[in-house]
Amino acid sequence: MRTKPTWTLTKASLKMWFRDRQAMFWTFFLPLVIMVIFGVLNFGALGRIDLGIVDLAENEASQGFVSILQAINAFDISRGNSEAAERLALEDGERDLVIIIPADFGPALTPVSLRVLYDAASSRETLVGQVILRQILDEMTFTFTGASRLFILDPEPVTSRNLRFIDFLVPGVVAMSIMQMGLFSVAFAFVQLKKQGILRRLLATPIRPTSFLFAQVFTRLVVSVLQTVILIAVAVLFFDVHLAGNPLAVLMLALIGGGVFISMGFAISGWAKTEEVAAPIANVIALPMMFLSGVFFPREAMPQALQAITDFLPLTYLAEAMRNVIIDGASLWSQWGNLAGLAVWLAFSFLVAVLLFRWE
Amino acid sequence: MREIIGIQLQSSSFFEKLNLSEILEVFGDLYPRRLAPAELLRRVQLEDKSKAQFKSLSGGQQQRFSIAAAMVNDPLVLFLDEPTTGLDPQARRNMWGLIQGFQAEGRTILLTTHYMEEAEELCDRVAIMDRGRIVAMDRPQALVDNLLRKGFHKNYVAKLANLEDVFLDLTGHGLREG
Repeated sequence: MRTKPTWTLTKASLKMWFRDRQAMFWTFFLPLVIMVIFGVLNFGALGRIDLGIVDLAENEASQGFVSILQAINAFDISRGNSEAAERLALEDGERDLVIIIPADFGPALTPVSLRVLYDAASSRETLVGQVILRQILDEMTFTFTGASRLFILDPEPVTSRNLRFIDFLVPGVVAMSIMQMGLFSVAFAFVQLKKQGILRRLLATPIRPTSFLFAQVFTRLVVSVLQTVILIAVAVLFFDVHLAGNPLAVLMLALIGGGVFISMGFAISGWAKTEEVAAPIANVIALPMMFLSGVFFPREAMPQALQAITDFLPLTYLAEAMRNVIIDGASLWSQWGNLAGLAVWLAFSFLVAVLLFRWE
Repeated sequence: MREIIGIQLQSSSFFEKLNLSEILEVFGDLYPRRLAPAELLRRVQLEDKSKAQFKSLSGGQQQRFSIAAAMVNDPLVLFLDEPTTGLDPQARRNMWGLIQGFQAEGRTILLTTHYMEEAEELCDRVAIMDRGRIVAMDRPQALVDNLLRKGFHKNYVAKLANLEDVFLDLTGHGLREG
């Protein structure tokens, strides 16, 4: 393979890419808009914890306890008159947690037990709420008994694992935009090249068909890396997303993920003769994955059976690997499971692309 | 083989988003031997369109550009597939002139056409194909003489001018495009 024609075609197709406003919109602008919308609105951030308090003691100790709880920002507190009323509110989803302060609350010789009712469905909030409650009660125990501490937990804030939604979202959007780019740009571009007879015209020149294919693939791999860099740069600069992982590992993932979806794009373009056929096929593949692969919300929220199926989607592998590396700072090697999944998809779609591909 | 031939395909299109001189640049780079884009565009009278896109050209200009792209490797043999189909009389005459120019440079040109007067005007040798088979191949005048020898004669006497001459006389010989 002479390298000069391949390089020329790559240069030309990059030039064409950056002059194509529509491609630019889908590749860079749309993912950025999604990120900005979700970043600014901060949808789905860990909400305040709706805490209902039923104070049956109404004494000095219980008043003090309640005032401490009111001072805690994470709680949205409602005072209830009876356990029955608060239980109803819990069942209606208006509370995450209800704490019942018994009448004998206060410094006593025997332990006083405080019952906590919690919404079994909103697990994260109730869990965090219970931890906070336990912490406060422990503090009160120490104060009342005057016991000295044997163990002290020394918390140190580490920014890489905060629970903001944007942190969850960014790696998913990066993965999604790589998928969109790979599927749509290849499928559309090749169907057009075929239809307009440009492929046929190129076959009349001395270049090897493989040089041309290589240039097309290379161009799109460059774009997928660029996308990743730009989206992550915006996330880091404007949304305080902390890039915990190795940037090179992230770029490797962009290349591998790009390879998977570019192959799928080729498979579609090999089969479809017109854009009118290519578009719905690409959409049928892309749309379900957008919602089932944990791009916008955690897959844990899905029914078990659906989770089991969506485990195997290529976008799931890519989004999870991206998330683990970008947010948790995982190494590329630790993602071998996701990488193996991507490798299988790459091999499969490459094979399908080779079998279906037609020059005319 | 592909390095010494140039091919102009019927109704072929070129990369969108690239201008004419960029397209010729790309095509030229695919060959070891090449002509400069500016020179090629000048040959087909498109030098003022070097920054234009293929799609924005008129039918005649597109055909001429197609031929420029076929000439990009300075080929010894040039294949032209119905180069004048759909062109107005002026553009067709202009195309004939271009083709005769390439011919005069010693290139072999293989041209397909449905216009017999085009074949008669341009070709040294004509092959007539019917259902995929060559049924006759000779110099145009020899083919005509052959027919006359069989006793064929037209039932009207050709005048010294035809309707196309009238059209050209009324609308001028220059290319009719902006």
